[in-house]
Amino acid sequence: MHEISLVQGLVQQLKELAAENQATKIISVTMEIGPLCGVVVDSFRFGFDIISSEEELIRGAELIVNIPTVRYTCSGCGDVLVIAGPRPDSCPACQDPTLFPEGGDDLILLQVEME
Amino acid sequence: MCDTCGCPSPSDHSHEHDHDHNHDHDHPHKSGHSHTKTVDVHASLFAANDALAKANREHFNEVGAVALNLISSPGSGKTTLLEQTIDALKGEIRIGVIEGDIETERDALRIRAKGVPVIQLTTGGACHLDAAMTHKGFHRLQKEPGGQNIDLLFIENVGNLVCPSTFDLGEHERVVLVSVPEGPDKPAKYPKAFTSSHTFLVTKTDLLPYFDFPVPEAVGDALHLNPKLRTMSLSSKTGDGMETWLNYLRELVANKKAGKLK
Repeated sequence: MHEISLVQGLVQQLKELAAENQATKIISVTMEIGPLCGVVVDSFRFGFDIISSEEELIRGAELIVNIPTVRYTCSGCGDVLVIAGPRPDSCPACQDPTLFPEGGDDLILLQVEME
Repeated sequence: MCDTCGCPSPSDHSHEHDHDHNHDHDHPHKSGHSHTKTVDVHASLFAANDALAKANREHFNEVGAVALNLISSPGSGKTTLLEQTIDALKGEIRIGVIEGDIETERDALRIRAKGVPVIQLTTGGACHLDAAMTHKGFHRLQKEPGGQNIDLLFIENVGNLVCPSTFDLGEHERVVLVSVPEGPDKPAKYPKAFTSSHTFLVTKTDLLPYFDFPVPEAVGDALHLNPKLRTMSLSSKTGDGMETWLNYLRELVANKKAGKLK
């Protein structure tokens, strides 16, 4: 559950953003969670719910999660796959299991709505 | 700069603010007097850890140490491998160890008995080490007898094949270990540990006769995920395969001394 520590870092960042913007309430938080970044979306949500319920500033805020697509190039046939879900086991065209991913390995705070 | 010694690490309370804030003040007056505002941040949550990891790497480089981050499930034989490695390289390579565990000093005591500088980080529940803990740990290690002169730093992560993969500690090489009793499906089931590592070690190969662990299958799965992985198999108990591992460590240290490893 390293998602909890990542949420703690997020909450710290939200507090700083709220202070910079003289906001007293966070309404929504939009995250981009790459399918290859090692973060489980449900665990991140769980962590967010728990920690935000303890912080007046964030309590009740909506967590919006965007899952970016990952571009895989097959090492066998060179086909390019663009997938938003989990990493595929092999290339659907030639069954080669070695696929080189591009992107999808970051966890990004995109946008914060506050008042 | 670090408050402790002036090393390149940012101090514990500083935060990297490299996100660009879009301070556009649109105030849609929806209802009553609520002033809502949307701020575009676009900042990675890994940025703070990555900045500290980079500083750790600079610190290791300054003192001329190669740092290895060992990642595996609990019980894969990380500490035993370290004990054997220390014995084998005694008088040849100066080793230091940062031990990570949720609780207890047990692993540090085992390593200390081998006569090398070691400190124990207890995370008190956290399932991984991060760059900030490693930073503090390395400072503590440098205060231990012999801690000023380290060629090879082992950072033994908390036993866990999932969470540690996400956190760069500033290491030069990441080594993932899977022991024979765990089964050969670990690369397929825990891909991040293998895609983020440089080296894959199959350990406890003395148990191969008793378990269904086709080494080529495990290694093949790992190489499919990460074709650049260096792979080795060994037994700390019988010493089988140890020489390949030791030569890998010797090569890392030699490359570091030659300025080839940054």
